Amino acid sequence: MRGTLRWTRADLRARRGQALLTIAVVAGVVAALVLSTMLLEGAVNPWKGLFARTRGADLVVYLSNAPGKETSELGTLRYVRTLDAYPAAPATLEQARGSVKSPVQLTAMPLTLPSISTPLVVSGTWLRKSAASGVVVEASFAAATHLRVGSLLKVENLDGTAQVGLTVIGIADTTDQGFYPQWTPGLIWAQAPVITKIEPKGGAQEEVVDFRLTSPTIAPTVIVDEIDNLYNFSPDSGNGLVVQRFYTPQQVENSMASNDRLIGLLLGLFGVIALVAAPCAIANVTAGRVLMQRQDIAMLKALGFTPGQVVRMLLAEQTGLGIAGALCGVVLARVMTSPEFVRPPDGTSVGLGTLPGSWVALIAVGTVATVAIATAIPAWWAGLVSPVAAVQASPPRGHLSRIARLGLLVHLPAALVLGARDSLTRRLPALLTVFGLAIPMVMITIALSCWSTIDGFSQDPARIGLVSALTVTPGSYTGSVPQLIRNVGTAYASSEYDTTLPSGSGTFTALAIGSSSGPRRFPFQVVSGQPYSRRGEAVAGQGFLDLMHLSVGGYTQVQIGSLLITVHITGRILDPDNNGDVLAFGQDTLQDQGVSPVPGYSVILKRGESPAAAQAELLRLSNNDLDVTLVPNPASSLGIVRVVVAVSVVILAVIGLASLLTATAIGLRDHRHETGVLAAMGLTPRQVMATLVVNTTILTFIGVSSGTVVGLVLAPRLINLQGQASGLGSGIAVGLSVVTVISVLFVALGIATAAALGMARRTMLMSDPAAQLRSPARPGPNIITTR
Amino acid sequence: MSRSALKGLPSDSKALLHTVGLVKMYQADGVSVEAVRGVDIDVGIGEFVAIMGPSGSGKSTLLHVLGGLEKASRGEIWLRGQRVDKLSTAAWALLRRRHVGFMFQFFNLLSNMTVADNVELPALLAGASPKQARKRREELLAELGLSDKASAAPARLSGGEQQRVALARALANEPSLLLADEPTGNLDSSNTRDVLRLLQRTHASGQAILLVTHDARVASMADRVINLFDGMVADDAPMLRIPRPVPSVRDVLELHG
Repeated sequence: MRGTLRWTRADLRARRGQALLTIAVVAGVVAALVLSTMLLEGAVNPWKGLFARTRGADLVVYLSNAPGKETSELGTLRYVRTLDAYPAAPATLEQARGSVKSPVQLTAMPLTLPSISTPLVVSGTWLRKSAASGVVVEASFAAATHLRVGSLLKVENLDGTAQVGLTVIGIADTTDQGFYPQWTPGLIWAQAPVITKIEPKGGAQEEVVDFRLTSPTIAPTVIVDEIDNLYNFSPDSGNGLVVQRFYTPQQVENSMASNDRLIGLLLGLFGVIALVAAPCAIANVTAGRVLMQRQDIAMLKALGFTPGQVVRMLLAEQTGLGIAGALCGVVLARVMTSPEFVRPPDGTSVGLGTLPGSWVALIAVGTVATVAIATAIPAWWAGLVSPVAAVQASPPRGHLSRIARLGLLVHLPAALVLGARDSLTRRLPALLTVFGLAIPMVMITIALSCWSTIDGFSQDPARIGLVSALTVTPGSYTGSVPQLIRNVGTAYASSEYDTTLPSGSGTFTALAIGSSSGPRRFPFQVVSGQPYSRRGEAVAGQGFLDLMHLSVGGYTQVQIGSLLITVHITGRILDPDNNGDVLAFGQDTLQDQGVSPVPGYSVILKRGESPAAAQAELLRLSNNDLDVTLVPNPASSLGIVRVVVAVSVVILAVIGLASLLTATAIGLRDHRHETGVLAAMGLTPRQVMATLVVNTTILTFIGVSSGTVVGLVLAPRLINLQGQASGLGSGIAVGLSVVTVISVLFVALGIATAAALGMARRTMLMSDPAAQLRSPARPGPNIITTR
Repeated sequence: MSRSALKGLPSDSKALLHTVGLVKMYQADGVSVEAVRGVDIDVGIGEFVAIMGPSGSGKSTLLHVLGGLEKASRGEIWLRGQRVDKLSTAAWALLRRRHVGFMFQFFNLLSNMTVADNVELPALLAGASPKQARKRREELLAELGLSDKASAAPARLSGGEQQRVALARALANEPSLLLADEPTGNLDSSNTRDVLRLLQRTHASGQAILLVTHDARVASMADRVINLFDGMVADDAPMLRIPRPVPSVRDVLELHG
């Protein structure tokens, strides 16, 4: 026991660099796994993280008839631990720059943040005494109405009799209600005097009560009934507080659940990357360590270490490093995801889900187990090493293959042929090196392809089905909308209908736009099939086709309003807006049936016109009477995937470099003793160094190129698969440009060759070729860590 | 009893190491080669035996087999009255800890440990406490004149110093038998002299040594020399010690004529 400890300590001290490398690799893998799981959860449903962080309420109840009534009695209810109550008033918001009126709820809040359902301020500040007319706006509402810190807004009450001018001083998240506009009204927190100004008489005023229950599993109806009983509810008496409505966390969660499955899937892809790359990387690094210690292991056995002892010692050493790495990884993940580090873009909710401790422990333990398993085979092999190896250092077995002989025959440089021996004759180590580099390269290529796909979303939105950049509704504009739109682009009359599937199991969007033929036909970009050309024809998104079990060319009947319409699906389009749950056809298909479309227009901008500029132009021309909204581009929400890509590339590069360094060190160790022989044969020092380096460089080249090629082949298929699975539709993938591929190859090979050359140079400087001739092939001081 | 008694060799109870018909075969390119063919040797307690022979005679192989580094193909090996040729690798390892010390031609010190660690490791392995191991190490290094090199890395020592450290390591657990494979093969003459002197001192304090060498000078220090040829014992004879006459005044007078 003491012997093994002494050896392990000395080994770690002597090979500090390798040990740190192993720890770094494991830490990186664990951090990547934790991060991707958190991102996956957070992207798919941000509610959970937000609920935990804001200490969300177990029940939110809206009571009417509040002023003057005591709500403190609510605290005496059974199952209620604590509660907070705030007066609130409904109002409409009129923004300074538009004539659109949005329904809002003004809630009076204290200057100190409450303890139940604490609004999470993401931008600006909470309510302050110094800003009497300052308000805090809920984040999704602010995003929908383009409010920012400093925006001015006018709020008026439902009758239109009172108006208040307010300034936005902060933006915050909450789980009291879902995201606007799926959930209305928009939420604005203000100081109490503002509420009084808006609703002086208090007739329409409500009381919002956030409950913290004794147990979150209590049915809300129980509480509501108790409230009713408490105030002797009777519809005619009008004396008691009346429960207007109530919301459970479950309802809010369902409402917040993101429709954007693509993010979730892409992030899941990166989790898989970490899972696949991790064992390979770790196995490579630990196997390399054990291989390099072969002679020392033989000597240990000669000294009296039993084979079992040797195996256990190596396993324990590597597992110890793995545990250290896993702990570092957990800490790293914690730091990277702490609120101090991760500030979301202004006005958006935090995109990270919480990860329960058990999951983190699972990931850490799983990675350590991977380290142990990856070490098992090299350790078992070390147990088999004969103690005689200590005495007779056998040269690496190989023979001059036919290819090598041929190479020498045709006068290829001797250094090249001699250096390439290993890659041709010692197949197993060569294969390990190639794989150790190819796999990270495959992953890096896939990651970069994801990046370029997302770039493609923002640079060429038409490719992913975002042909129109703006949607316009008349608002209070009385003139001809199409004529106005002509200033910035082409207008296509469009209207959307939320339609239930025939099976009743879900909804999809029916989009009637333009005409079915002629110049007014909307130029959908189909990825398969044809665009529609007649009344009664339509194009559909992948999601719709999947839901209805149809394919392009099929017929389907859909119910829009009270009418049943038959359409022939002629093509498939990409649709990022509704996860592909869309069926689009010309408006004349509907007019046929007597459904008059709701006025609205989709705008395809003129070339070179930016959406934001066009929006501003239209508003200016219409004197802010038009209602113009930008079509959201998924690229904006996929921004977080870019972060993950960048982090993954870095981690994969570290893993690849670790494999490379290990392979180079082994190669140098195995051939150091030849430097004297080669010099004696007549090779110049430069040629000798070349033979040392050529083998690694050849293997690196093979590994990096094959990895890149495989990655380039796999990436579009994988990305399209994700697109298909998310309903967006296959066909979104954008390949890497030739320039990018060549640069990546260049960088990878450059780093590899530089590393190999650097190490070879150090070896040559340290060793004396003549001395090598006198003593047998023995490994010298460790090449990586010698100071 | 065994054949050794018929041969007139010391009886088993006095022999530390005793082999009967030892054979070691190798497979090389499909052909089996007998490196050691039927060797019977003995080493008594405290005896210094040298094995000589031309290269290829199998002397190193014989030493490896005797130390359990390789398994014998046939025959018997008796160490301290116990039969050891059929022991497993693990059992041999345990045996080596306490009873067999090794020295090699190319020193074979553990490269990632300091000199002190190298010498202490066998003691720790055998179960000594770190304090005991340290005490033993300090004793040995002092005896061999290496106290100042205790925290150096082996790579920084000269050949002679490395071999002395190897000797210290081999003696750390006071083994019954010290096996040395060409210990001076890689040393210059002055270092050779030093190491040989140390070996003699060790022998003088009662250590049994079995040494393989091709150097007659080295072999001449032994009590007995066994000559191997083609894997078989060609000769096994004690070194005659002809007492040198004590120099007297008469010799000096004779010289000057």
